[in-house]
Amino acid sequence: MTIRKLPAGVQDMLPEESRCLTVLRERLGRVFALNGYDTVASASLEYYDTYSDIRNALPQERMFKLTDTDGKLLVLRPDATLAISRIAATKLACGKARLCYFTTKWDLQEAGRLSSREIEQAGVERLGEEGAFSDAQTIAFSIECLKETGLRDFIIDIGHVGYFKGVLEACGLSEADEERVRAYINRKDGLNAERVLKRAGAATDALNTVLALPALYGGAEILDRAERLTDSAVACEAVARLKEIYALLCDMGYEKYVCFDLGTVRRLSYYSGMVFEGLAKGLGASVLSGGRYDNLADDFGKHVPAVGFALGLKRILIALERQGNLPPAEPLEAVIVCERGAESAAYRELLRLAADGKRVRLSAEYGRAAARAAKGEAERVLFVTGKGIEEI
Amino acid sequence: MIYFALSKGRLAAESAALLKKCGVDASVLESDTRKLVLTSADGQYGFFLVKPSDVPTYVEAGVADLGVVGKDTLMEENKDLYEMLDLRLGECRLCLAGFPARKDALTNPHLRVATKYVNTARRVFEERGEEIEIIPLHGSIELAPVTGLADVIFDVVQTGSTLKANGLAVLEEVFAGITARLVANKVSLKLKSEEILPLIGKLKEVIA
Repeated sequence: MTIRKLPAGVQDMLPEESRCLTVLRERLGRVFALNGYDTVASASLEYYDTYSDIRNALPQERMFKLTDTDGKLLVLRPDATLAISRIAATKLACGKARLCYFTTKWDLQEAGRLSSREIEQAGVERLGEEGAFSDAQTIAFSIECLKETGLRDFIIDIGHVGYFKGVLEACGLSEADEERVRAYINRKDGLNAERVLKRAGAATDALNTVLALPALYGGAEILDRAERLTDSAVACEAVARLKEIYALLCDMGYEKYVCFDLGTVRRLSYYSGMVFEGLAKGLGASVLSGGRYDNLADDFGKHVPAVGFALGLKRILIALERQGNLPPAEPLEAVIVCERGAESAAYRELLRLAADGKRVRLSAEYGRAAARAAKGEAERVLFVTGKGIEEI
Repeated sequence: MIYFALSKGRLAAESAALLKKCGVDASVLESDTRKLVLTSADGQYGFFLVKPSDVPTYVEAGVADLGVVGKDTLMEENKDLYEMLDLRLGECRLCLAGFPARKDALTNPHLRVATKYVNTARRVFEERGEEIEIIPLHGSIELAPVTGLADVIFDVVQTGSTLKANGLAVLEEVFAGITARLVANKVSLKLKSEEILPLIGKLKEVIA
């Protein structure tokens, strides 16, 4: 008997939660628009190949697949940024745009983890932009967005994939070993990383730098430490860029919202430059993540340097709830009840109040008793008769 | 306030002793109580005593900021968290064991492996490109080869005396240095760094 049940990893959203999500979308939609972002919506279904025949292919086991009538394999939107990158490269004439979206991304992961399979996201992508000022603006805007959601205690944790790449290059590892080391370093598990590096015969200097990565987190002071640790030009360039971004963020007044971590390197690596995550008190996982992805669109036939981020709306709601700051419910201002024959007068009153911006409900029941029973549902109960309107 | 998830049993007692050396008032852990949440007298620390395999779950979700748990459990649960320190407690090895005479069975294409580390065993043999049949068990793993339920077992070995008493031996040491680790929630480490980092510093000194 499954007709009354839902499959694992998806939920129905009941009125209270749905209302909060709507308020969240409205708040974000307003800041997106005010900051010059235009909305886009990508198709829900795409070809499987779009996500598997690119350099940074998504893991096949994480995509929801369907078969088209011609036998071609389709997927339910597995990633918002990739979809927008495809749109930018194939459909936007000038390749330059500031886009925002509200969308659902699907993740076929084992049920029961912290994340669900249907992920509500809001995000922005700045396409055709390069430079530290663009990076800094993106981070600054992500902070403004989190403030707008109502979150109070949060921090933006900034890293750079170039540092890890540069430091690892010196070790001369195979691709498989690089991935192993990345996974270990990402967990700050130095012991296992060391095991892999030693087995692969990495030079002592290079090995020590990689093993220093898990401890490279904290305030801006770690950037100097990171610089001293390596000779790699790629890595040093990454640190220089982060310093530039940090200086700009300080100038803009965002110093207290940022920290750094050069040891966090996530798997989904279409990112090519600085990366960042939003961490909020009350939730053990990030509520926002983003970064620079200059080479992603190349696979779709056009070079479009870009940077952006996405907010996890359900996670933000959980954090807001734990911080005791969910958007308050809007009370019903009036319930209108009428007697038989006064329906049109009552309906006109409903239209009048609604046009006035009031939240009103017209009852489907008749009579004074129904009006009395409605007391408590709203601030006022209006009873409409042939003679006029009285307040109960 | 920092919340710890600790593995019930001997490891909790050893963790408490270690924390005490770092100036954490963990004496509440010595009391004989049925309470599930224990708070230190100074109100600075909270402790949850949970089943070892649940420690990574509590820490990943951020319900606990820090946790102490064996590396074997960490590998098996494979959660998204930070592994901060090797506490060097309860050292053991994860081994393939069975009847010594049947060591060549390890390359048998239909090797039956009894284990409570189902995910880890699957990963190990997948990396080797070998197909095996896993027989999930929850305890007394050694019984499996003895009764013919499995060809070999994949389990932690501390002294090896249980193996010996049943005529079994270590056929291959897959992971050495399995010890208790201090793990941290990814967000807590950044948002509560002022409380957590000094504590980790002290722990490092104590175990050095």
